[in-house]
Amino acid sequence: MSAPATLKATSRTMVIDGNEAAAWGAALSRPDVVAVYPITPQSSLVEYLAKFIAEGKMDAELMDVEGEHSVLSVLHGACLAGGRTYSATSAQGLAYMFEPYFRTPGLRLPMVVSLVTRDSVTPCCVWGGQQDAMTVKEVGWIQMYCETQQEICDSIPIAYKVAEHADVMLPVNVCHDGNYLSYGVARVDLPEQEVVDAFLGEKNVNWHACLDPERPMAVDPLTGGAGGIGPSTFVRYRKGQCAGMAAALDVIVAAHEDWGRRTGRYWSPLIEDYRMEDAEVALVTIGSMTGAAKDAVDDARLDGRKVGLVKIKTFRPFPAKVIAKALSKVKAVGVVDRAVNFGWNCGPVFQEVLAALYANPTRVPLISFIGGLAGADITPEHFGRAIADTVRVAAGETMSSPIWLNEFDQ
Amino acid sequence: MSIAFDTIAFRAPKCDGCGECMKACSAVKQGASRISIVPGASAGAFEMALCRQCGDPKCVMVCPAGALTKNGASGVIDWSADKCVDCLLCTSGCAYGAISADPVGGRVIKCDQCGGDPACVSACPSGALEWGGAGSIYNRFGEMEDMFVPGLAGCQGCNSELIMRHVMRRVGRNSVLATPPGCIPGMGSVGYNGKTGTKVPVFHPLLTNTASMLAGIRRYYDKVGRKDIVVMALAGDGGTVDCGFHAVSGAAERGEKILYVCVDNEGYMNTGMQRSGATPYGSWTSTTPVGDKLKGKTQDAKNMPMIMVAHRAAYVATASTAYMEELYDKLDRAIEASFKGFSYLHIYSPCPTGWRVASNKVIEACRMSVESNFVTLWEYTPEAGLRFTRSPDRPIPVVDYARTIGKYRHLDADQLAHIQAKVDEQVALLKRLAGEVATAPAALAAAPARTSTPDGAATPPLRHETFRP
Repeated sequence: MSAPATLKATSRTMVIDGNEAAAWGAALSRPDVVAVYPITPQSSLVEYLAKFIAEGKMDAELMDVEGEHSVLSVLHGACLAGGRTYSATSAQGLAYMFEPYFRTPGLRLPMVVSLVTRDSVTPCCVWGGQQDAMTVKEVGWIQMYCETQQEICDSIPIAYKVAEHADVMLPVNVCHDGNYLSYGVARVDLPEQEVVDAFLGEKNVNWHACLDPERPMAVDPLTGGAGGIGPSTFVRYRKGQCAGMAAALDVIVAAHEDWGRRTGRYWSPLIEDYRMEDAEVALVTIGSMTGAAKDAVDDARLDGRKVGLVKIKTFRPFPAKVIAKALSKVKAVGVVDRAVNFGWNCGPVFQEVLAALYANPTRVPLISFIGGLAGADITPEHFGRAIADTVRVAAGETMSSPIWLNEFDQ
Repeated sequence: MSIAFDTIAFRAPKCDGCGECMKACSAVKQGASRISIVPGASAGAFEMALCRQCGDPKCVMVCPAGALTKNGASGVIDWSADKCVDCLLCTSGCAYGAISADPVGGRVIKCDQCGGDPACVSACPSGALEWGGAGSIYNRFGEMEDMFVPGLAGCQGCNSELIMRHVMRRVGRNSVLATPPGCIPGMGSVGYNGKTGTKVPVFHPLLTNTASMLAGIRRYYDKVGRKDIVVMALAGDGGTVDCGFHAVSGAAERGEKILYVCVDNEGYMNTGMQRSGATPYGSWTSTTPVGDKLKGKTQDAKNMPMIMVAHRAAYVATASTAYMEELYDKLDRAIEASFKGFSYLHIYSPCPTGWRVASNKVIEACRMSVESNFVTLWEYTPEAGLRFTRSPDRPIPVVDYARTIGKYRHLDADQLAHIQAKVDEQVALLKRLAGEVATAPAALAAAPARTSTPDGAATPPLRHETFRP
């Protein structure tokens, strides 16, 4: 379900870009410690945070550190000491952050870090794309992809609710597309602080592992070895991490539902079905591209083609069952990615959907579209082509995949 | 429980036989000197005869009058003029020639340590005599809780284990301890498979992010008003000067209020003795091996404490376990400074396994490193500048130190000359920073025992304004 069509302007209605929407979402969640380091296209987001703290709008420790590796490292310390933590990064910053990033889910630290998604080097590029976030999809962070500025603002408190849930205790990346959402301006209704406070409740982020002289413990002793209790201890940690991920699916649904009751904005928690009731072919999209894709679906419907769309919001954990169900009645699926899976010569979302559909009794053809790399626009015309190609595949035609939507843009 | 006592220590290599100690003793005691400096077995060497204040004193045993007694509070063998019958049996009972008859008065004379402030030590111009406060340290800290379990799996003679235990005894329970990958967690401080070797909150940061993680902990505790917790690292040199450098530098630049103790064993000893940026020139390591073409490390060590001075950290000091009283003094100041800003304590830690030093020679290696100026002991604050805490004057040659260390066994004359030149250069730089006149390196090596003018009057060193970057 999307945002309701009728929105009433209030004193907290603003016209802002996605980075400011994220900063407001973070501020309303009252983190204790915020660590920042600038990187395009995230920079204005951390500038807003610094400004909010400077102006007293936000009561958080601001840590301007020397790089993304330390951004996440100081947050590890703050979180283990008991603090709620927030940061944001992109592309090269995420790459530089990778060492502590890899460690965060294993420590079960319930942080929220926005990824302002971007393509990266090489070829050198500072423009939008989702290659950064998609490259770290197996690390163990929850990933939610936003479609609009309002959804960014709302999804950050929702992310804390999910991360800090006792059954989950995992970090969350709230992803929004660089350029299109980071700099694109739209109307955002800020939730009331009391609403967010009541929604989030008391924080308790280090009940499981802490660095506190009042509760002395050794955090992260070495495990493993050739046999016995070492490897089996490690196995139980890993299994617990997977259990937390699996539990997150229901928690994400419940948190979105709870948010909807409190704010009137019911965002689709895992996937959103758009005109899928009688659809014969479907597009699968993720992130901000979805708006243009929906327009293209509407145009196709006007032409009498039974086309629907499934948008993925939660990519990690992957909602395989609901996706398999949503696509169980179509004759072909076209998956549009803003990133590349080099190993399989397709888009990463395509590969995931392909795997999910294996559970369905009927095999349907899938086609991978890759567009929007390096800041390229995926226009309704591009989606029109994707729909036309998917219809042809549904009719039995075979096509070479992936199809690079922007390959011949001038 | 036994009690340890402070004592007068004699560093024979530093003694040039000037006799100032005897003159001072004689003056204070209004009679013959209780301390004797006598020519040693080899030319130019001297030995000392002085009461050892023995724990099992023969003089006391042979005294028929009960005039000699072991003082349980001070440790001194007290002599009672009232009880003494002047039989002088004690003078023949002492194996050290340290109790004798006054040639003038004829009565027994012996050292009473001047009540804890011995005149001979104050008078010694060469640093050969020192008042050793180790006994006081033992008494003060022996009662404090050891924050590590017995049986950590350090190598025999491990100096780092000594450092860990002493530092954490002093810091106490109200602390959070980071031990990045290396020997310190490797010997079991963080622990294995759910068991820990430490009684305070302890964790492995990444090798690369120790100072950052600690900064986050400190900021949160400060924010919630828990400002009295010592937030600290016991980190190796690799994680400090190499891959963790950015985090240390960033934390120092921001003035993060943490105590960062670098335990410098000059390389990656835990992973099999590879070179680090702190490994000195010429060292054999497993990645700077010695063969026909390569003869150990070809670069000099990065000087991390000086880099911390350049950051204007709230406190920077170097320390050595050969001088525990000084280490404890610096630890006190380092802890205090860690509540105000970035506090950095660099402790040199010879590794018996990786350096090829016998486990019973580790402290000797520590001492000779300082005596040769290979290691200099100093401290710095932005307010007071840099000052030496042990004089670098009258060093022993670096080659004497290098000979005690197996990893330098292969060094040829050119390599040794390189090391000596770098040591001299380093001391000259430190002297300039400390506001002392730097002697030219070549002249330094050839400097006379004491600076003197032609007429023999001692010349005090000129002092400039103390270094304040």
